This record gives sequence, C-alpha cells and structure tokens, in this order.
Amino acid sequence: MTVMPRPTAVLHSLVVALLICFFLPVPATAADDQAVYTLQADGLACPFCAYGIEKQLNRTEGVDSVETDIKTGTVVITMTPGATLNETDAKRAVEAAGFTMREFKKKDSGG
Amino acid sequence: MRLRHPAIALAFLAALAFVSQTRAAPQTFNTALPIAEDEFVLREQFIYRNATDDPSLADRRLRVLGGVSVLGYGVTSDLAVFGVLPYLDKELDLITPGGQRVTRDTSGFADARLFGRYTVFKDDAQGRTFRIAPFLGLELPTGDDNDRDSLGRLPAPLQLGSGSWDAFGGIVLTYQTLDYQVDAQAIYKLNTEANNFEFGDEARLDASLQYRVLPRELESGVPGFLYAVLEGNLLYTEKNEMNGVTDPNSGGTAFFLSPGIQYVTKRWIIEGIVQLPISQNLNGAALEDDFTVRVGFRLNF
Repeated sequence: MTVMPRPTAVLHSLVVALLICFFLPVPATAADDQAVYTLQADGLACPFCAYGIEKQLNRTEGVDSVETDIKTGTVVITMTPGATLNETDAKRAVEAAGFTMREFKKKDSGG
Repeated sequence: MRLRHPAIALAFLAALAFVSQTRAAPQTFNTALPIAEDEFVLREQFIYRNATDDPSLADRRLRVLGGVSVLGYGVTSDLAVFGVLPYLDKELDLITPGGQRVTRDTSGFADARLFGRYTVFKDDAQGRTFRIAPFLGLELPTGDDNDRDSLGRLPAPLQLGSGSWDAFGGIVLTYQTLDYQVDAQAIYKLNTEANNFEFGDEARLDASLQYRVLPRELESGVPGFLYAVLEGNLLYTEKNEMNGVTDPNSGGTAFFLSPGIQYVTKRWIIEGIVQLPISQNLNGAALEDDFTVRVGFRLNF
C-alpha cells in the first residue's frame, strides 16, 4: 500500500526549502554573460577613501558590483549581464574620486 | 613658560616608537585627502574644554562644552567646500573685585565658518599619496555677540560670537600610506573689529601622525583600520584690543600635544583625542588651558 504525503506536509517542505535557498549565501561570482574588469587605483591608502571610488564606479551605467582590495589597490568591477565598461569611463570615475587609474583590463572570463 | 604633562607626552612618544607595523585624518585640524566629486562627508565632534590655571586673583574657571558640525562637499575631486557650525555652552566662574564668586554663562550657536580647499599638487602611487592643498575661508558673525546676564554684558571672550567677519587662509599637506599618515598645516586668521573689540590675529602650525596598529597584517578587501594618533598644535595669538587699547592680559604662545585614537571604516570613522598643554607662554594674566577632550565621528554618504 502506497502512503501519499499529506498536501500540508508537501507545502511545509516547500516553504522550508524556499527559506533555505533565500538565506543561503550567494557566491559572489559573475555569470558567464557578465563582464568583469580590474583596475589599479593609485593613491588609495585608507578605507574611508575606498568608499569614494566604489561609489563613483557604482554610478557608472551597467556596473553591477564593485569590490576593492586596499592592500593591492585593485578594484574589481562586475557588470550587469551584457553590459561593458570602457577605459575612459573607468578612469573618469576613479579621477572623480580623487585618485589615479594606472591599469585597466578585462578579465578573460566572467566568473 | 611652563612645561605641563611632559611625562605623558614622552610616554606616548615612546609608545609610538615601539609600534612596529604602522600608522588616518587629523582630529584637531584638516587634511588634504580628497572628497569625491558630488559627495558629502559629515563630521561631528563633541568638545569639553577646561581652563582653570589663572595667574590673577579672580580665580577664573572656564568650562566649554560643545559640538562642532562640519559638512564637506566635493565640488570636483580637487575642490572641496566646507561649512562648520559650532554649538557651545560656556561657563565662567570667577571672583569679582568685591570678593564674591559668580558664574556667568551662555549657550547657543557660535560663529560659523565657510571655506574652500583646492588640491594644487598630487602624487599618487600604489598604496600611497602625497597632496598639497591651500585653503581660504571666512568666519561669519552668526553667534550672539551681545549676550547679557544680571551683571551686564558678557566679556567678549565669553560671548558665543565675535560679531566680526574674519578671513583665514593656509595650506595643508598630507602624506598617506597604508601603514601611516602624516599631515601638516599652517593657518593664519585675520580678526577684525566689532563692538569696539578686536581679537588678536591667530597663527598656528599643526602636525599629525597616525599609525595603523590594527590589523597588523593587511587582509584582502577593505578591513577597518585602528590608528594610534599623536597631534601637535603650536598656537600664536596677538593681544586683543578694546576701544583701540591693547589688552596686556591676552594673547601669547601655546603648544599642545594630543594623543588619540581613531577607527576608520569605508563608511564611518570614530575618534577621540585629548589636547594637553605642554607649554603656555601667555601674556599677563591670560587664562591657561588645562585640557580639551574631543570625541566624534565622520560619515561618508
């Protein structure tokens, strides 16, 4: 004899599964269709200043996220799917924050 | 000239010398570090100042409590403008010539300051920057300069405002690395007359050292930095004039040394410092400072 699960039990399991998915940390990796760029921000030497660069870059159209590594002065910019970033816009954002962009390159693959 | 708190000053200098790893913005003056274009920085500083070292028979005791709000805005990455608005509560306790001890006090908004700072030189490299920025501003007579109590009009130094429009200008230099920061500033303030009273002009030299003590080794990302801070302020003030007559019991030279601490993150800073008079060579019976405590925060938004 086959025992069928009660509908309420199924619903309960679904809610629990959805909650688990919602609260699980999402890996901060870009999807294949998200371009990722790195740049070197010279002059960056304290946490308070890093916020200025991140905010200026985040204002640039198509930017999804910005992550800074203060030790190396490296800034990683992940674009929204299909968007690209040109060097002129990146340089303008860094300079608007008061710093100097030394290097700009696109990562070979997103993710 | 008297030396005060020399042991504390020496102990702090010695402690800094043993901070092996390292060394953020000064707390008693400005920095040449940039404010990003079209961005604001808010700073709030709470002050407690005590001055009771009175060489006169009046046995004056001055206590100033206050808060100073500073809003900075980046017009461009090189040009920043600042507005400074202090709120002060001043209380002066003294013995009158008749031998009676009285307390005179006032509170409210003091004179506001507006100034602009422009970066004329910038040398950036990986993990370090050097900047030079002159600044120019005006102190506006926004504070009450005619406050009275039962004894009459409060003396000019106790008023919240000077009543005068006073220009000031100077230059600030900053050298910052991931490990430490050095700032230096020279400033001159030209005081003008109001209500037949003119405060003496002021000149000051300031210096600040900030050493990163935590984290000792930098991790990836943008961790919060804890800095040990030591600042020095050399202040020269000319004598005041009342009705065209120089007040011999005003003005002079004072040197303050200030140990402090500062915690810096991307969005906010919390900080505290104690200004200690190391040397006060003041004219006549001018009232000498005991200490000033400053605690505050800054917000990037």
